[in-house]
Amino acid sequence: MSKRLLILLALLLIAAMALAACGGGKATQAPAQEKPAAEQKTEQAAPSGGGEECKVVFGAAVSLTGKYAKEGEYVKNGYELYVEEINKAGGIPVGDKKCKVELKIYDDESNADRSAQLVEKLITEDKVTFLLGPYGSGNTFATTAIAEKYKVPMVEANGAATKIFNRGFKYSFAVLSPAPNYLRGIIDMALDKDPNLKTVAIVIENGAFALEVAQGAKDYAEEKGLEVVYFDKYAKAAKDVSSLITAMKSKNPDIVLGAGHLQDTILVMKQSKDLGLSPKVFGFSVGPTSPEFRKALGKDADYVVGAAQWTPELKYQSDDIFGTPQHFTELYKAKYGEIPPYQAAESAAALIAYQKAIEAAGSLDKDKVRDALAALDYDSFYGKLKFNEQGMNVYKPMAVMQNYTDGNLYTVWPKEAAVKEFLYPFVPWDQR
Amino acid sequence: MESLQFTQGIVNAILLSGTLTLVAIGFSIVWGILNIINLAHGAFLMVGAYITYWLFTLYGVDPFLSLPISMAIMFLVGYAVQRYLINLVIRAPLLVTFLLTFAMEIVIINLATFFWKGDLRSVTPDYAGLGFTLGNVQIPYVRLAAFIISLILTGLLHVFMTYTKTGNAIRATGMDIDAARLQGVRIPQTYALTYALGTALAAGAGTLISISFPIDPTMGGAYTLRAFVICVLGGLGSIPGVMLGALLFSFIEVFSGIWFPSLKDAIALLVLVLVLIVRPSGIAGKAFYH
Repeated sequence: MSKRLLILLALLLIAAMALAACGGGKATQAPAQEKPAAEQKTEQAAPSGGGEECKVVFGAAVSLTGKYAKEGEYVKNGYELYVEEINKAGGIPVGDKKCKVELKIYDDESNADRSAQLVEKLITEDKVTFLLGPYGSGNTFATTAIAEKYKVPMVEANGAATKIFNRGFKYSFAVLSPAPNYLRGIIDMALDKDPNLKTVAIVIENGAFALEVAQGAKDYAEEKGLEVVYFDKYAKAAKDVSSLITAMKSKNPDIVLGAGHLQDTILVMKQSKDLGLSPKVFGFSVGPTSPEFRKALGKDADYVVGAAQWTPELKYQSDDIFGTPQHFTELYKAKYGEIPPYQAAESAAALIAYQKAIEAAGSLDKDKVRDALAALDYDSFYGKLKFNEQGMNVYKPMAVMQNYTDGNLYTVWPKEAAVKEFLYPFVPWDQR
Repeated sequence: MESLQFTQGIVNAILLSGTLTLVAIGFSIVWGILNIINLAHGAFLMVGAYITYWLFTLYGVDPFLSLPISMAIMFLVGYAVQRYLINLVIRAPLLVTFLLTFAMEIVIINLATFFWKGDLRSVTPDYAGLGFTLGNVQIPYVRLAAFIISLILTGLLHVFMTYTKTGNAIRATGMDIDAARLQGVRIPQTYALTYALGTALAAGAGTLISISFPIDPTMGGAYTLRAFVICVLGGLGSIPGVMLGALLFSFIEVFSGIWFPSLKDAIALLVLVLVLIVRPSGIAGKAFYH
């Protein structure tokens, strides 16, 4: 009986493989995932006396497949760019010697439970020195709890929901501005351009980050005298939001704001075109600022604005390894062939925060570095790195970028950093 | 403006019902004739969608032209899978075939995730997003075309089942397998053919879906579930029943999406439960599976 079952299983596998093959499998390239096992042979090495080589291992679970695969790729790029640059410079100074930096990244498949499991594995099996964050608030919420449990610091760069930081955790730090602030810049900019705007519609991905973004935007819009005429959620895995678009269109809003991530933002744009929804301003929390947005939508990306934690055009000056946003952009472009999305910059900034804390602590001791992180106040290429007592970076402003009709992305807000004027209004679909 | 929401909703629902009919009809004949609840249906649909995606991305084949290709490939795959895999356990209790198709689904999805990665992908021909307005209702060309093609395929299936000898053999097998065998129907071949038809229809639906919506390896599950609900709503064993079920389901899905977007899925399944309680045999037709 069991033999027959085995044969059955084998047949099943073969059939499924045949299926996969005739589906055009040869077209795919090897996934960008690295085999961490190959590059990492030993566990961490604390800076011990003698001639032993010193090494810092940063571990992270990042989404390399699944819904957040694209954003996760940017995160991984940011981490890797920093590691490459710092190792070129000899490593992170710890006391009187320099420690080489290693990275160990697993794919969490855009799944929070998986992310937490992998972080536990990073701590207990791989014995990494410090932790970096995953992509997204849901995954960060799950993994920071594991970091806290084992008292290993985690500086994260991609979880903006404030609920991550309302649990009294001591070992979690975020370099990015919190979620409720995301869409404020867009509202300010729109009203600055046209004070006669009256109504806002907000569509929301049903997840920790987006819900906070939306609530923050709603409160702020109402404070500014706008009327919120539509405010509703779609499922996290939604592949069809045409019902929400239909409902929004019937309200004829001046501004449409989307709180969500790259893939659902692209979906909202596509179906808005399908159904002819043309407000005067289209703005989103995540999506329009990444190169993938333009690739997916082509000319339909024109005029759309997106919130940005960081842009290549900001005027920060720093003595960190990147120096300025412009230099970071050059290095990133040379390595990855595209303009860096802010997810890459903030991810690299998480490592800068670690570096500065390690330098200040003069040690790789987890608790000493944690204390140094809590006391950190540093101006990086990414902006101010300073944490409040909850671990959030509330000191750094948000910017706005717009997809221009020439196919490029430009910073259009705040005014002092803007390189182009905000193109207004959004040209309706039927007039293009 | 509220009336716009209503009329646009009606149009959306009607257009959606075409594709969903195609999704459910393959599921329905496999269930009705082979007595298999084919949990791998959505996985085959996903593979069909990916065939279209790859043909479009690599060779620039128009997604509508890839429809016969994806259906033909998956027809052969479906035939082989039934003949050499499912047929081994076709006499076993329902639970075994249920488990087998469940395992097939997992294997196919995992292989697809492995080879193609979990990313969302879209088929984007030049005409995607274009449409026309009727009054103030917006009708995207792509969805209208998908609707019409679905109706044509459904019509062809109806003609095949009603007016050809093979079609009659399939229906006879579903009604009374022993009587069919006595009449000279070759059961294994008929089963394989039926399963292949179901798989091809799933792939065709996958192709049409890939043109309007983003795809990823896990997209199929939601469609298997919808096919199941539609079959229960419409009752098994009749093509008009499936069409009615799909239409009803589309209206529920679209309007719950407009009025209570966060509860969309819950409402659709609530309707399923209600139908099972009130009319277990479905709204139209009667169950003829055992």
